[in-house]
Amino acid sequence: MANTSILVIGGGFAGMTAALEAAELGHEVYIVEKSPYLGGRVMQLNKYFPKLCPPSCGLEIQYQRIKNNPLVKFFTLAEVAKVEGSKGNYTVTVRVRPRHTAPNSVDLSAVAKGLSGETASEFEFGLARRKGLYLDVPFAFPQRYVVDTACLTDADKSALSACPHVDLAEEERLIPLQVGAIVVATGWQPYDVTRLTNLGAGTVKNCISNMQMERLASPYGPTQGKILRPSDGRAPKKVAFVQCAGSRDENHLSFCSYICCMASLKQAQYVREQYPDADVTVFYIDLRTPGRYESFAEKVLADPKIHAVKGKVAAVAQDKAGDDVWVTVEDAVTGAKSVERFDLVVLATGMQPSLAAQKLPLDVTVDEEGFIVNGEDQGIFVAGCAKQPLDVMKTAQSATAAAMKAIQTVRGR
Amino acid sequence: MSKTVRIEPNVQFVKELQEVGGDDLKKCYQCATCSVACPMSPADNPYPRKEMVWAQWGLKDKLLNDIDIWLCHNCGTCSDLCPRGAKPGDLLAALRNMTYRKLVPPAIIGEWMSSPKHLPILAGIPAVIFGIVWMIRAAMVGSFFPVTEEGKIVYGNLFPSDFTIDPIFGLTALFVVICFAVGVRNLIEGFKGTVTDTFVIGYKKPTIKEAIIDAIKYEVLQHTRFKDCIDEPADEERVKGHLLLFYGFVACFIVTSIVAVAHWGGKVIPFLAPIGHTPMPLWSPVKILANVGAVLLLTGLTLLTRRRLNLERRKSRSNYYDWYLLGVIWAVTLTGIGSEVFRLAAVAPLAFFTYYLHLVSIFMLIAYLPWSKLGHLVYRTTALIYARYVGRLPIGEKLIEDEKVFVI
Repeated sequence: MANTSILVIGGGFAGMTAALEAAELGHEVYIVEKSPYLGGRVMQLNKYFPKLCPPSCGLEIQYQRIKNNPLVKFFTLAEVAKVEGSKGNYTVTVRVRPRHTAPNSVDLSAVAKGLSGETASEFEFGLARRKGLYLDVPFAFPQRYVVDTACLTDADKSALSACPHVDLAEEERLIPLQVGAIVVATGWQPYDVTRLTNLGAGTVKNCISNMQMERLASPYGPTQGKILRPSDGRAPKKVAFVQCAGSRDENHLSFCSYICCMASLKQAQYVREQYPDADVTVFYIDLRTPGRYESFAEKVLADPKIHAVKGKVAAVAQDKAGDDVWVTVEDAVTGAKSVERFDLVVLATGMQPSLAAQKLPLDVTVDEEGFIVNGEDQGIFVAGCAKQPLDVMKTAQSATAAAMKAIQTVRGR
Repeated sequence: MSKTVRIEPNVQFVKELQEVGGDDLKKCYQCATCSVACPMSPADNPYPRKEMVWAQWGLKDKLLNDIDIWLCHNCGTCSDLCPRGAKPGDLLAALRNMTYRKLVPPAIIGEWMSSPKHLPILAGIPAVIFGIVWMIRAAMVGSFFPVTEEGKIVYGNLFPSDFTIDPIFGLTALFVVICFAVGVRNLIEGFKGTVTDTFVIGYKKPTIKEAIIDAIKYEVLQHTRFKDCIDEPADEERVKGHLLLFYGFVACFIVTSIVAVAHWGGKVIPFLAPIGHTPMPLWSPVKILANVGAVLLLTGLTLLTRRRLNLERRKSRSNYYDWYLLGVIWAVTLTGIGSEVFRLAAVAPLAFFTYYLHLVSIFMLIAYLPWSKLGHLVYRTTALIYARYVGRLPIGEKLIEDEKVFVI
């Protein structure tokens, strides 16, 4: 008889939604999440579409549903190491990296504060530092600290050895699972700005990515929600958004990431809400406002201090004397090429599927960009941005769809 | 945007453009990356984005009167950064090719020069002319490969300059000069209708004389603009190759001029004559200059050909105009060197045949010059002078640093 359990790879919005939909219909579900916490990219946002809720709004409900549903089991710091068998009868080996902290939600903040080793926080996209023992995610789920042994100094190690809630000797575990279907919800990563050589390649001090902007605007972020220039902590007066930074470009990501135009308009609003004097310019190729987002765009662009200019920024450079940023662009409507100075420049980088960089031990095909293109006949279903770039709303829809198909597979219909 | 412009698309012209090297122009989605990436492009109506949209619509008049296609030195940065592989650099090259083809009558030469299928005609004309000369002279001197009593080869004995070489090339040169005069007039007429005067603060508008002197001093002799067009090692090789080739030609031109002036001048002022007497001994300064020219040509050709062969096809493709010119210059250079080597080696049949090929290839270089890529020698220079005169300048780094970019 076929196994009725379902494996969900990825614990972001798509993965959690797919898992809950299946579990709430009576299926045992396993979520395998690579990072220490669930929530994925949505956790890193300040507000998200369509209703501009803070991430806590949607995620805390999901976390509650997971907590209350014994059919959902999840592994963090975990990856799928091996998949054997076929549709209906998969044996999956999950590799769980050690967390080194006790399974109860002990508050280790005092211990963490005492450590000396530091590294850039991945969660904050390098805008903040974290210790070797950390919990850098707001309303984290699971609410547990994690140890990054690579970041510990010798003094840190001896300090942690003395702590009863930390076990530095904990080892990696391999866990076998039996499942009938697999949902792949591996999501996306921001496109690597260091590859955008003409846009400063990440070396221009006050040229940040759109995801960094989300962290700057987040009340849980490195600046407690004040949008400040990374170089000097000054409030920006003139901000530029560079659309399609590495998107719709055959040298980078050949596709449109669907939501970056809206994200920039949303972020323009963050800036304008905080700074009534600030000027914002969005430089675009085509301003893409799918579906009912059109009305949001109209509302934002009605602000006389938010300008939209048709023309792709193709050169970004650091000012020779200060921290300002020079942007070169041609206004394709008026046909004027100009070099303008800005306090802060935000690159609207696109969503690159996570599978572009990391392969799964599954027999599925990805296209040249890293999006999964098949797998359904083998009981493997794709949810969210592993299939195509989506907003959170459509991600949830695709996750529900994937869960329904997975259920049909394991029930044999 | 509110102004209604009636556009008359010329689909035939779009197809022609695609044939002469603009294959991918339809891929452009007007993002304007190219205009920004171009180090030569000015602030006011920059290129090549506007050319891309004109080309998609087939706006022939705008394109053929466009000064900007000549301000482009084809470094290819726009094509490298183009997100769509639309190759704006190649399109501007295609537009220049279109100009070579259409700017100057007779249209039939433009047509012949546009496709390799007409190559037999182009080579056939000089081959027949010099073939007939060879026949007649062979009948007169009694040998197809005449050598002197000491067994030396003197090309002038078979093809005497007084009544074969000089009249043929003299008339050809006159024809070319007249055609260029027509071409330059047509170009300037076109520019006048389309290029507006640009007022840039910090730029003193030159007189036409100053514009000519400066353009020749900087852009032509020093390749200053061309040097601004470097953003990768291959570009450096291209500029170096072009400079070497340019000065190789200058050397050969000086040699030819000395010979011609001394020869004809010698008929009036007798003591000039020996200077122009050929063949010259190898120690003659004029001969040394000629040989230096040959080495410059060879080196330049090697650099430029190697670069073209290594072009990343996804980013840029060479077209027939590129290869015709490179091919003919190779032919001129190799047959020129061959003529000298075989003459010194006293291999009469080979020497005379190589010299004959040398004459044919030189004719192919000079007689069709206004319709070939080498026409840029005149057209680009004209455009550069005009651009200086009206103040159509690139947004230079210097200007940006000084915050002096005020374009009105």
